[in-house]
Amino acid sequence: MTALAALRDALVGRPRNAVLVGGCGLAYAALYLWMIGDLGPGGGGGLAARFPAWDRVWQARGPFHFEPVGLIEAGPWVWTFSPLNTLLGLGIGLLLGGNLVLGWRVRRAAIHCAWHPPGGSLLAALPALLAGGACCAPIVLIWLGLPLAGVLSPLLPWLLPLAVLLLLASLATLARRLAASTP
Amino acid sequence: MSRWRCPTLLVFVAWLLLSPTAALAALPTEETPRVPLAYSLQEFREAVRAGGPGKDGIPSIDRPRFHSAAEARLAPDDLVIGLYLGGEARAYPQRILVWHEIVNDTVDGRPVSITYCPLTGSALGFHRGDAELGVSGRLVNSNLVMYDRTTGSEVPQMLGVAIDGPLAGRGLEELRLVWTTWDAWKTRHPDTRVLSRETGHVRNYRHDPYGSYAPLRGYYRPQSARLFPVMTESRRLPPKASVLGFRTIQGAAAVTREALRREAVIELAVGDSHYTVISDADLATGWVFHNPRRVEIRVDDLTFGPAGVSGGGTEALGPIHAFEAMWFAWAAFYPDTLLYGAAEDVP
Repeated sequence: MTALAALRDALVGRPRNAVLVGGCGLAYAALYLWMIGDLGPGGGGGLAARFPAWDRVWQARGPFHFEPVGLIEAGPWVWTFSPLNTLLGLGIGLLLGGNLVLGWRVRRAAIHCAWHPPGGSLLAALPALLAGGACCAPIVLIWLGLPLAGVLSPLLPWLLPLAVLLLLASLATLARRLAASTP
Repeated sequence: MSRWRCPTLLVFVAWLLLSPTAALAALPTEETPRVPLAYSLQEFREAVRAGGPGKDGIPSIDRPRFHSAAEARLAPDDLVIGLYLGGEARAYPQRILVWHEIVNDTVDGRPVSITYCPLTGSALGFHRGDAELGVSGRLVNSNLVMYDRTTGSEVPQMLGVAIDGPLAGRGLEELRLVWTTWDAWKTRHPDTRVLSRETGHVRNYRHDPYGSYAPLRGYYRPQSARLFPVMTESRRLPPKASVLGFRTIQGAAAVTREALRREAVIELAVGDSHYTVISDADLATGWVFHNPRRVEIRVDDLTFGPAGVSGGGTEALGPIHAFEAMWFAWAAFYPDTLLYGAAEDVP
């Protein structure tokens, strides 16, 4: 079995796995948007949406961080909606979900075949989490009360691409191992 | 033929010489800054750090809209930055400025920039001439580094002196702003106009990403840690304690909020000269005057109006620009500052 076939079979061949990857993508996207400040408290309790700034859809606020085009209020939450930020969050979330599902499948195969599975797929998501947390709303650092923003700021432009590369590399490794362990 | 070459050459040389001057004239500056420089421009430049967002990643408001006080969606204890200029009063809600940091406005026909740095809790106004100020995305002592969009010169907000670019070494012309509550500002200025949330950008103006001032939470708590390194550290007050500071070429001085609440008039000797700080209890701020002859202030005769304080002996005194800031940042820019009202000074 090729690595690509093993990857396809693991992620979309079984509905339960596809739901898990999708759920992980959505959960991570929500966390990412909250950490970069697009999602936050302040809603008036009702449901409202307006999109007054579609002309800013491609306008960057920083590295891999884009201007919102609309404001969505849902209950106590306010979402300043940027399609590109949302796609970025979803993309990393799906990669992370894929890593989790593949890691689980490889682990199950390892139990049968008695070899050690690779780790680190969760560690690969760390740069992405930092990129979200240390961007223009450094809430994580404020919570931690650490003067780290000065150290992290020069790294910010590299964190998101680094996270994507690490997650892709981890996914490829896991797919190869799964293919090797599948007859 | 050669008779024409000479004047053409002269005109060309004159154009070369004058064109930078024309560009420099856009942002009004003073050749000799009126503030003490504790470090060289080179040292300030070396202390500049990336703050996270890129140039204009925090977008200034360049076409501000205003509405009446009655239309303002503000709570009484919401913080505003107030400006009174040429008979016009304007309130810039902190909740909006925390997302934009600079408003390029025109008040009474005069172009001005209202600037606010959330990391140092400082609000300063500047005359801007034909230029616009923008957010560079860089910080010195955690303080906003603004840039002049005409020349590209960079100016740390609390210094008010360009440290880089064609205007390096020149001081900006400052304007007094008042950091107070909406209720206090509206009472003093019932006809005030208020900056609208229709800024041209989409932001969650009900939420402050750094914390909250009422009640004090997150980054704004007096004891909480700063995020970026500073050039000089002082532990005489909690890092985020708010002080009213002023500086002249003779030196710098800061007065604690507690001292302003406690004392109606504070006399200070800075360098070889004498200054008087008059507490404005309603706005929870102070007005600073150069008082070299040590004129005695008659507290009962003081009048607090839209333009500040008057009467009581202040007529003959020269007003000095002052602004509120977090202590750690004030001490970092002005390490030799006089501090009045620290707990160790209270009898």
